[in-house]
Amino acid sequence: MAVDAQPTDTHLDADGDVIVTEGLTKVFEGRGGPLRAVENLSLRVHRAEIFGLLGPNGAGKTTTVEILEGINKSDSGKVSVLGLDPNRDSTQLKERIGVQLQTAALYPNLTVVELIDVFRSFYKHSLPTSQLISEYGLEERKTGLTKELSGGQRQRLSVALAMVNDPELIFLDEPTTGLDPQARRSLWDRVAALKAEGRTVVMTTHYMEEAEQLCDRVAIMDHGRILELGTVDAVVSGHFKERSVRFATVPAFDDAHLAQLRAVTRVAHETDETVLYTTDVPATIGDLERLGERVGAKNLDVAVKRPTLEDVFLELTGRALRD
Amino acid sequence: MSRFTRGLLPLTIANVKSYVRDRGALFWTIAFPVLFVVLFGSLFSGGTTKFTVGWVDQDQSAAATSLRQGFAAVSLLDLKDANQDDALAQMRDGKLDAVIVVPAGLGTALSSTGSTSTPFQLILYTDPSKQSASGTVQQVVAQVVGGINQTLSGKPPELAVQPQTLQTQNLTNAAYFVPSILAMALMQLGVFAAIPLVAQREKQILKRLSATPLARSTLVGSNVFTRLLIAVVQTLIIVGIGAVLFGVSVLQPLAVAALVVLGAVTFVSIGYVIASYARTEDSANTLASVVQFPLMFLSGIFFPIAFMPQWLQPVAAFLPLTYLGDALRQTMVGGAAYAPLYIDVLVLAGWLAVTFLISARYFRWQ
Repeated sequence: MAVDAQPTDTHLDADGDVIVTEGLTKVFEGRGGPLRAVENLSLRVHRAEIFGLLGPNGAGKTTTVEILEGINKSDSGKVSVLGLDPNRDSTQLKERIGVQLQTAALYPNLTVVELIDVFRSFYKHSLPTSQLISEYGLEERKTGLTKELSGGQRQRLSVALAMVNDPELIFLDEPTTGLDPQARRSLWDRVAALKAEGRTVVMTTHYMEEAEQLCDRVAIMDHGRILELGTVDAVVSGHFKERSVRFATVPAFDDAHLAQLRAVTRVAHETDETVLYTTDVPATIGDLERLGERVGAKNLDVAVKRPTLEDVFLELTGRALRD
Repeated sequence: MSRFTRGLLPLTIANVKSYVRDRGALFWTIAFPVLFVVLFGSLFSGGTTKFTVGWVDQDQSAAATSLRQGFAAVSLLDLKDANQDDALAQMRDGKLDAVIVVPAGLGTALSSTGSTSTPFQLILYTDPSKQSASGTVQQVVAQVVGGINQTLSGKPPELAVQPQTLQTQNLTNAAYFVPSILAMALMQLGVFAAIPLVAQREKQILKRLSATPLARSTLVGSNVFTRLLIAVVQTLIIVGIGAVLFGVSVLQPLAVAALVVLGAVTFVSIGYVIASYARTEDSANTLASVVQFPLMFLSGIFFPIAFMPQWLQPVAAFLPLTYLGDALRQTMVGGAAYAPLYIDVLVLAGWLAVTFLISARYFRWQ
């Protein structure tokens, strides 16, 4: 009998993957009825990859990450992190993961060394404080109070705190938000080094450039669902076969003519630029220049752009990523 | 190493360091009670307060003389014999705080056997504009007369007057204030105890900590231990100042130590209830202030509860600080009891149990 019994076994075939979820769902009781923060979410994160979770605020990224970290419980679906069930074995799991929270403050009246030492005391196994201090470039400030650190130093410290237990899997929450370009690049180097050390990184970010630079694969989320998942190139080219050819708008051109140029699929206007979407960039540009000569518009300042994640994002969600 | 003890000591040390480096918090918990002790101790350093009371004996019987002895035995009162006109004139000049008149006929009234239909009336003049003096004298007179009536009921009318114990019995002001201020300091320490946790919740530090293997019980435990350590330091400072500046010594050090721990833990638990109902650090601070002021003024900290208006006294009987102050006074300086010591302890333990359950149920971690 009992053939149709719901399997209580949440075991997933991880197949060497660090994170596996299947049909993960989390519902919050909100004021306007239940809010499905995460809905039927399935993904896999491979070992030693940098995985980006992208989406606007309220997309469900934070809830998803909290479930994976074992600080929030899922309502249904299967989840396995480092071969453990975060709902059940969260204490064991927390020994082996590192978490950085962008919004989390630090104990303001402790020094850098004191704070790292306190965090080390929470774990069975931890890295030496001096190693963390030097790896994250905090030597100069190691006896300074954390409230006196610069934004970049604070961010490096919060990543260093995520590393105290020498974790196999690290969650980074918008690690470079609010940093100047130089500080951002230096943190990118650190994140790339984590991957080189064989660690797996799951990061959320608002910066497309960051995702394109760092992430092996990305998932774009909105309304608790994954809209797109894959390498940055695959995600972009899956959506846009065309490139865009842009130039400062010339009044003598009319759209009907432009649309008839070779390989042009669509004509658009953005502020004072004309945008031609094309499947063959050289053919379109050749035709465009000939058209220019005919109407006496020379030296068109033409730029060719490949679409970015931002474009994909805009198309998928109708919102810019930073909204 | 059990899960509870892992991280407990380092986190407690970190809490203490954070606390000591926060000058504002340090001022409120250490300097403020010290200022209170010194200020109140000095203001009232005249030792025992005495009230000068005019004694007008219009009866001149043996009973009246016994009655006078009964009143004279009350150390708070300093009797001055006079006739009624002189006594009232001196009271108007401020030389007397009150006047007691024994009308003629007391002796005959008391010696007549069988119950009299109306009780014999003593006349007491007090000055309503001097509230504390008039209140105390009224209390004392009522107490002495009550004592006499008890002695008289069913017994031969022998006037051996026994003054009853009174809240204001024989304590110097410093001896009253030192345990009071200690109780107040423990109360303040407690009601504000959970504010660091609320702040940490607001600043997402709690969330960050929840992503580590640190147990919540360890987090709360280290917060409570931190408060207890501060309570011990506060106690030593307040008791030390009391001993050095005002000669107030501690009668039962062990009992006082136990009461300091019980009191601190009880008020910390009350602080956690406050934190359970406050969303932000600011609202928790406001709520804690709202809680601390009635506790401060209605619990017999600055003046004995007997001096409070009648209708407010039941409020004092409900407040935990009343019992902590009373218990500390009894064990430190041996003052008159508001309630027996075991009642004080039971009431505090009751508050602790109830508030612990409430905060364990309602404290929000996220």
